[in-house]
Amino acid sequence: MDTTRRGFLGAIGKVTIGAAASIAGASQAAEAAQSDTPTAVPHWGMVVDLRKCIGCQACTVACIMENAVPEGAFRTHVSVYELVKDGQDPAMVMLPRLCNHCDDPPCLPVCPVEATFKAENGEVLVDASKCVGCAYCVQACPYDARFINHETQVADKCTFCFHRTQAGLLPACVETCVGGARNFGDLNDAGSEVSRMLRENEVSVLRPEMHTNPNVYYIGLDDLLDGRVAGEAAYHPEMADSVSSHKEGL
Amino acid sequence: MQVQVHELVGAVHEAAWLPWAVQYFFLIAISSTALLMALPGFVLGRAGDLPKARLALMVAVTTGVVAPVALLADLHQPFRFWEFFVYTHTTSWMAWGAWIVPSYVALLLGFAWAIHRPAFYAMGQENWRFAWLFRLLALKGEANGFARLLGLGAGLAALGILLYTGTEVAVVRARPLWNSPLLPLQFAATGFVGALGVMLVLERVLNRDGALEETLNRDLVFALAVVGGLGIIWFTIARSGLSPAHSQALASVAGFPIWKQIAAWGALAIVVPFVLALVAPRNTGWATGLIAIHAAWMFRWTVFMGGQAVPKVGSGLYDALLPSGFDGLMGVIGTFGLWIFLLIAYTTFFPWADATPPAGRRPSAPAHPARSV
Repeated sequence: MDTTRRGFLGAIGKVTIGAAASIAGASQAAEAAQSDTPTAVPHWGMVVDLRKCIGCQACTVACIMENAVPEGAFRTHVSVYELVKDGQDPAMVMLPRLCNHCDDPPCLPVCPVEATFKAENGEVLVDASKCVGCAYCVQACPYDARFINHETQVADKCTFCFHRTQAGLLPACVETCVGGARNFGDLNDAGSEVSRMLRENEVSVLRPEMHTNPNVYYIGLDDLLDGRVAGEAAYHPEMADSVSSHKEGL
Repeated sequence: MQVQVHELVGAVHEAAWLPWAVQYFFLIAISSTALLMALPGFVLGRAGDLPKARLALMVAVTTGVVAPVALLADLHQPFRFWEFFVYTHTTSWMAWGAWIVPSYVALLLGFAWAIHRPAFYAMGQENWRFAWLFRLLALKGEANGFARLLGLGAGLAALGILLYTGTEVAVVRARPLWNSPLLPLQFAATGFVGALGVMLVLERVLNRDGALEETLNRDLVFALAVVGGLGIIWFTIARSGLSPAHSQALASVAGFPIWKQIAAWGALAIVVPFVLALVAPRNTGWATGLIAIHAAWMFRWTVFMGGQAVPKVGSGLYDALLPSGFDGLMGVIGTFGLWIFLLIAYTTFFPWADATPPAGRRPSAPAHPARSV
């Protein structure tokens, strides 16, 4: 790990902790942030319990406010689907989406100037001072989790709120999650809440066929939604004239 | 199990590679393939290939100059282009491209200059309005024995261009439509189609030599056959299920009427000039040339803009197929405008019709620009 990169966004990691201790994983995050021993280096991950997500988009708004995400772009949002199976009553299904901070991120090797890098704690980050805005990483991400920020003109994405975790705080989306669906913590710590959730629940990841080893896990993810979702697209005023529905297959 | 899915809330992702990218890939493919077609006449010294080589060199130079401009415009931080050369990430094909592109353009311009140098020198010795300019261009000499070496270097760099542009896109697993080892071959083959199309149109405008038109049309038939063959191979692999990536690519677009229209249009853009050029290789240059240019451009537009219109995780299609504004159609028009300007400048000021192989006979008559100035 290039230690200079730890100074990303101003090296504000020496702030005292404790503000977010009521949320799963916060204590581990705080301990890890304070520790200097190599064995205590946390590996951040998120477990999204879809049974608790109500699609309120509080996480979407919190992320936008926290990270000054420009209009029309999202570092995270909650996709909402209506599923009708075998003529049964429709079911509303929520699916929070964000960068999966993959252990084998496809966005990393394609970056021509090494602006995208894997941080010590597992976050996939962009060094905005290096990024040339070629958008190759945007193409390579299998989760549509990256975009070109038109205010900074560089690649932008979820950082797991690096500036907050360095200060011992939780990511803004986790902090604000009304139902406790988003859980954040240290996957290296067997005693963390996220590790416990991974042990005790059947979990899935998005697009497993891409073999990216994501660090965002889902509890209760329907197989129909773990890849490209077939079906009718949401209404978008700017696309009202275009064809918006399809079925996967020939 | 019968399942209906309706996306109620979903984000729209705009295209990150803009029509500038389409223009770059279109122009650089034409340039590199045109250069390869110029080499038999100028480097191997095959006299019969000289008329074709002259057109090919002009096409290679003009498109080769405009293409990097479009590429730079597609960067969202164009003034940081120098970072490509400071932080080269060897795992990225784009990083290799950053070295290959300037090498190619430099070798291409060097080769073209060397080919034209004797004529530049001759024109600099005459008493006319722009003699001073040609004395400068000739660098006080007419020797050009090194042109062959430059041509071979430029040819190698052109192959590097075709390799890197195709592979750079083909390795993107996240987009099944791009993720095919056939794509570099398709880019190269459609590059030849586009270059021959431009040469046919220029032949009609500048030469009106029936024999050259016939030669170009024969070459076009072959190039279109390769393009069609590659398309059939891609479709067969996708339908057969031999390759999950290809099947996924086909499945991701097959349900959309607009993609069926694109497929039918693309097939016509190959079949119509193929039949025309095969049946009537003379006096069809305008039609076959323009349709060939259209086919090569449309292939890239479909790959890049159409490919980015397919969501990776969401439903439906994004609105990327018809972008407008400065980064959209205006970018396309602007790039073509610059290219046409260069073509006019080249044909007006450069003695392109007098270009000969380096060891060949010097023009016996005083060289003049192709058009009076």
